[in-house]
Amino acid sequence: MANTKVAIIAANGTLFDAYKVFNVATAAAASDAEVGIFFTFEGLNLIHKEAHKNLPLPEGKEHFQEGFKQTNVPSIEELVGIAQELGIKLIGCQMTMDLMNLEKDAFINGIEVGGAATFIEYAKDANITLTF
Amino acid sequence: MNITANETLDAKGLACPMPIVKTKKAITKLQPGQVIEVQATDKGSTADIRAWAGSTGHQYLGTIEEDNVLKHYLRKATDEETKEETKHEDVINLEELRSKINGEESITILDVRESAEFAFGHITGAVNIPLGELEERFSEIDEDKEIHVICRTGNRSDLAAQKLTEKGFENVKNVIPGMTKWEGPTEKNN
Repeated sequence: MANTKVAIIAANGTLFDAYKVFNVATAAAASDAEVGIFFTFEGLNLIHKEAHKNLPLPEGKEHFQEGFKQTNVPSIEELVGIAQELGIKLIGCQMTMDLMNLEKDAFINGIEVGGAATFIEYAKDANITLTF
Repeated sequence: MNITANETLDAKGLACPMPIVKTKKAITKLQPGQVIEVQATDKGSTADIRAWAGSTGHQYLGTIEEDNVLKHYLRKATDEETKEETKHEDVINLEELRSKINGEESITILDVRESAEFAFGHITGAVNIPLGELEERFSEIDEDKEIHVICRTGNRSDLAAQKLTEKGFENVKNVIPGMTKWEGPTEKNN
């Protein structure tokens, strides 16, 4: 998969969304694919310095908490670290950051910031495009 | 089944995608051609490790389960194995080898793959000496018999056949292409 490019849009901010995004992204990167994630609207929570450490379960799904503990899934913090180590490109959506009144320093280190055109430019020759 | 690996990775208790993420990291430390044992308890890891090997070009050898632990064996890809160049001229194809095995004459089949590869399936009666150990173990080979050297794709066996010929063995044949295309009977280590 060395010549495979994966483009992901992360637009939601619960713990479930975070696992969907980071599991697929790190699995792809570990398989030698080039991976980029565009975080927009509530998806920005997944890379927010504080918020990503304590993401909420979707409403009414709080009982899954126990299952997460029992199956020993890695924490989102850990997965974000792995994602960065594997060279996954993390792009924050400028427009959403503006409307939420957030600056780049509210997010984890090493992210890029760009608009929709930045994502389109990245995704134009992607082999796999996913939206979560 | 007792299988030798150059490296062991403990990924027990870890959920997806950690077993492959850890495997990816660990395999970079291996030399090409070396074998890693990945221990995992994630039931999805068998399908994932196999798929991961397909994506990355590493060789998935097989999986065994012991005491609820899955042990996956992988061999790191090497560059020279993708080269097509063969130098040992005396070659034999798989069909010819099969009719020889079924024939009257007693022959030697020397399998020069790593012992973990051998363990997951080899031609019945074959002897295993990994290419890297060949030079120290020439004495184990019967000079009087016809020696048929085999590996996975015909490249390591080509090198082995050259080494044997240099050493003075006279009747050495390289079996091509190798175990990847072998459809005859095989056995596994116990």
